[in-house]
Amino acid sequence: MPSTVPVAPSTPQLEDLVMNLAAKGTAGTSSVDGTIAKRAHYAPPWADVSIIGIAGSSGSGKSTLSQAIVKKLNLPWVVILSIDSFYKSLDEEASRKAFRCEYDFDAPDALDFDVLVDRLRDLKAGKRADIPVYSFEKHARMEQTTSIYSPHVLILEGIFALHDPRVLELLDMKIFCEADADTCLSRRILRDQRERGRDVEGIIKQWFAFVKPNFEMYVDPQRKVADIIVPRGVENQVAMTMVTQFIQQKLLEKSTHHRAELTRLETGALSQPLTPKVHIMNQTSQMRGMNTIIHNIDTSSEDFIFYFNRLAALLVEQALNNIFFTSKTVVTPQNLPYRGLAPSGEVSAVVVLRGGAALEAGLHRVIPDCKTGRVLIQSNIRTGEPELHYQVLPKDIADHSAVLLLDAQMSSGGSALMAVQVLLDHGVKEERIVLVTYSAGRMGLHRLTKVFPDISVVVGNLCTDAEERWVERRYFRC
Amino acid sequence: MSQEVAPVKCVGPEYRAEDQKPTATVSTVVHFDNVTVLPQTPQLIALLSIIRNHTTARGDFVFYSNRIIRLLVEEGLNHLPTVSHTVTTPVGRPYDGLSFQGKIAGVSIMRAGEAMEQGLRDCCRSVRIGKILIQRDEETAQPKLFYDKLPEDIADRWVLLLDPMLATGGSAIMAVDVLKSRGVPEERILFLNVLASPEGIKTFASKFPQSRVVTAFVDEGLDEKNYIIPGLGDFGDRYYTR
Repeated sequence: MPSTVPVAPSTPQLEDLVMNLAAKGTAGTSSVDGTIAKRAHYAPPWADVSIIGIAGSSGSGKSTLSQAIVKKLNLPWVVILSIDSFYKSLDEEASRKAFRCEYDFDAPDALDFDVLVDRLRDLKAGKRADIPVYSFEKHARMEQTTSIYSPHVLILEGIFALHDPRVLELLDMKIFCEADADTCLSRRILRDQRERGRDVEGIIKQWFAFVKPNFEMYVDPQRKVADIIVPRGVENQVAMTMVTQFIQQKLLEKSTHHRAELTRLETGALSQPLTPKVHIMNQTSQMRGMNTIIHNIDTSSEDFIFYFNRLAALLVEQALNNIFFTSKTVVTPQNLPYRGLAPSGEVSAVVVLRGGAALEAGLHRVIPDCKTGRVLIQSNIRTGEPELHYQVLPKDIADHSAVLLLDAQMSSGGSALMAVQVLLDHGVKEERIVLVTYSAGRMGLHRLTKVFPDISVVVGNLCTDAEERWVERRYFRC
Repeated sequence: MSQEVAPVKCVGPEYRAEDQKPTATVSTVVHFDNVTVLPQTPQLIALLSIIRNHTTARGDFVFYSNRIIRLLVEEGLNHLPTVSHTVTTPVGRPYDGLSFQGKIAGVSIMRAGEAMEQGLRDCCRSVRIGKILIQRDEETAQPKLFYDKLPEDIADRWVLLLDPMLATGGSAIMAVDVLKSRGVPEERILFLNVLASPEGIKTFASKFPQSRVVTAFVDEGLDEKNYIIPGLGDFGDRYYTR
């Protein structure tokens, strides 16, 4: 290079000072007492999804290949996104044409690349993406959408997967599928008849009017930007193995990175006191008495469940002191005013499965009709890495004034971090989250509050770090 | 009649700034060593706001008063004697805990006090429960004992006396007198109460200095009919029949 711009030597102390001053100017948003808690960063394994584009002629075996890859890997975080979902809704005239099989579905113009790029960028940022549902029978976008959330690897499949330069920028691997034209046509006839409600005549008409010319003009040129060209689709075992190995490599990188992140968050945590937003239940004699019964290995299951439910109700009562209230004056039967309080809005709960379900009986004693979302997070048996397997949340969760996140036990804090991240990704504000757990270790609490200083936490009692998850085993008796 | 100045305060968790906490009327402060007022948390104030509101339907009144009563029972039980007790946990480590000593019984003053029995049972599954019926004598205007049925061994037990409203204290005092006449020592009587008047608290706490009152809220005072104000109306009516 001819010349380089000189870089000013960094002065960390000065920078920190400036940052602190800047932060003080906007104090009140992060912490009340004016002290600036340094927020640590946590990146879930879905934060930087790897996207693999598979393009190729209609009937060249793209979707079969994608499905074969997903089936071979058999992991919930490898998902397929078909570019067909992004067909534009047709206006009346275009729609009439389409029903006569005179509309050109095989040109790039038929696809809404702007929406596709937006959604891919959302996914790349770790957010939930609502994917339109296109009806081939009606030639229109349906009202409902499906959503994709938290894939680690996304396979983008469609004739124009490698067409738009904005999409290309987001791809980690570019594949072009190839097949003889007669193979493509016969596959297309079978598929469109079976799945899309077309007749043979219409299909053949479309093929010669649109599919073939478009292939030559737009589809085939994509091969120039592809990393791999796969002839013979799924029959091509060598190509299949190459692609799956590439994905496995990506997954391993993400897992390693995620675990390293979690380990990094441990360092230095123990030397600091817990933040005031962590509330450990007062160890009153009732509390200690109940804890003794719950901890005693000789306690009968009946007693265990009874006392655990009783204590869980107290945890939830305490958690509700952290939600937001507004003043409300009521009139008593004596016709006198009383200046009291009312919750600022709806309170819902999210249960971290399986342990969190043990707190549900207690939750329902306090809020019987509480809307309850569920997330299943499990630690990988080999690596200990928490993995998100399943999540269903109330649709309007971002509007709730508080969300109680329930888990029976928290040791390393890995699954709690992930669960909070899931809520944030769904639009829940950090200060509205109250984590409720029967027991927690200091390490986990530090990790969690370092990353998410604005959530509040209610803990039944402190336990040693890395304690086994025995509570749910006792509660569910398996 | 008499009325205290109701304290208005910002209510909320300690970590939140005062201007982020809404204001509400909290319990009147009373100075007796043997009176425990539940912590005036925003949640408790919100629960009280619901049961005080005259538009609250009976189903909600029952549900939300039960929640307050459970908190009262949980607090009341903290005043029972304990011994230390170390157990082994399912993961094999020792846990230094404690266990409760002494037997308990509930005694409800009919009929409003019976509304508190469910809350007691939620915490103590098979507790024995006695009942006392006290009504105002029409001739003398004084409370009169009409009926009582108490566990035989009541003298050996700690007694949780249940009455949600403490207005003048007449019935509660008579109930304690009944218990004492059956041999229950005053120091083993815990009076659980949802809403009290400052007068009632004063009368009861000074008459029985060895016993303990646990209440959710001390209100402003009494009106000319000796109803607690601003109050919540007739608890028994709202719970059972209204």
